[in-house]
Amino acid sequence: MVSGDPYIDPVAIAVWAEEVGIAPIMYTPWGWPIVEIVHFTGLCFLFGAIGMFDLRMMGAVKGISLKAMHRLVPFGVFGFALSAASGFMFVTTAPDQYLYNPAWQSKIGLILIAGLNMAAFYLSGTAKKVRALGPDDPIPKSARLIAVISLLSWIGVIACGRVITAFRPPFHWCVWCG
Amino acid sequence: MRFVAFSQSDFNHLFPQLEYPPVSWHLVFGMTDFFAWLENTPVSLFVREDFYAYFVLLIVHAWGMAFLVGGGIVVSLRGMGVASGVPIEKFRKFFPWMWFGAVLAILSGIGLLLGYPAKALTNPIFALKFACLIGAALVLRRLSRRYFTADYPAPAKGRWLAFAALVLWLGGAAGGKLLLYTNSVLLVSNEW
Repeated sequence: MVSGDPYIDPVAIAVWAEEVGIAPIMYTPWGWPIVEIVHFTGLCFLFGAIGMFDLRMMGAVKGISLKAMHRLVPFGVFGFALSAASGFMFVTTAPDQYLYNPAWQSKIGLILIAGLNMAAFYLSGTAKKVRALGPDDPIPKSARLIAVISLLSWIGVIACGRVITAFRPPFHWCVWCG
Repeated sequence: MRFVAFSQSDFNHLFPQLEYPPVSWHLVFGMTDFFAWLENTPVSLFVREDFYAYFVLLIVHAWGMAFLVGGGIVVSLRGMGVASGVPIEKFRKFFPWMWFGAVLAILSGIGLLLGYPAKALTNPIFALKFACLIGAALVLRRLSRRYFTADYPAPAKGRWLAFAALVLWLGGAAGGKLLLYTNSVLLVSNEW
C-alpha cells in the first residue's frame, strides 16, 4: 500500500469500505462484475441521453427541437447517478488502484470539465436560449461550443475509464504528494 | 517515471474468474488447431504484444459501442413515449451515428477477437452479447419500419417493442462487460 500522501489516506478509505460493507459486497464472486455492469448501464444512459443531446446541439442531427431532446436529459442524470454510485464502490474498495492511476485522475478531471461546462450551459442563459429554438432553427455558436466540449469530455471519460481497467501503473503517480 | 502497458495476458490475473462452467467447444469441434494457428498469425501477435495496440482497440471499441448503444437507447426511449411531441421519424437521423458506432465497434472488435480468438469464441456470454445486439438492431429496425409514422404514439405493441430494444441494448453492453470475467480459456497455444 502506498504511503506518503499528506492529504488522502487510502488505507483509511479501504478500512471504511470494509466496515460499512462495500468491500465485502465487492469481493463476493459476482460483486465486482455486477457493479461494473451497473457502471456501464449508467454510462449507456449517460452517453445516450447527453451524447445524443450534444450531437443535436452541435447541429449534427436536425429536425428535432432541443426542447424535446432535453426531455431525455433526466435519463442521463439517472445514468450518471448509477455510474457515480458504482464508481464510488470501486474507488473505496481499492483506493490505491484509482487515486494514483493517471488514467483515473484524467477521468475525474474530464468529469469536472463536463460538470463546469454543464454549469456554464445552464447558468449563462444558453439553455434558455436553445429551449426557445424550433426544430430547424440555426443553433447559436456558444451552444455549439458547449456541445462540442461536453461530447469531447465524455468521449475522453470513456477512453480513460477503459484504460483504468487495463492499466496498473507500476509507480506511485501522485503530484500532490510532494 | 515511465509508463508500462500490459497486454491482456499480463493483467488477466487481476480479474478473479467467476465460477463458471467451461464450455470447451474448441475441443468438441476440433477448433483447437484453428485457434492455435490464428493466435500465432502476425496480426494476432501484434495485438497481444504491441505497446499500444490492445489499448487503442479497447478504447475504440468502447467509443463505438457508446455511439451504437447510446443512440439505440435514445431511439428506444422515444419509442417508449419519452420526448413525445417530436415527430418520431426524425429520430431516424440518429441511425447514421449508430452505424458509425457499429463500424468502429466491429472493426476494433475484430482486432480484439484476432488477439484472443479462443477467449471469446469459447465463451457462451460472447454469443449472448451478439444475440442481444443483433436482436436489438432487428427490433429497432422493425419498430422504425412499422411504427415510426406520423400517428405515433403507437399502439402498446410499439411501446413494448421499444422497451424490448432498450433491454437488449443494455444486455449487449452488460454481456461485453461480463466477457472480462467469464472466459474459461485465454489462449490455446499458450495455456495458462
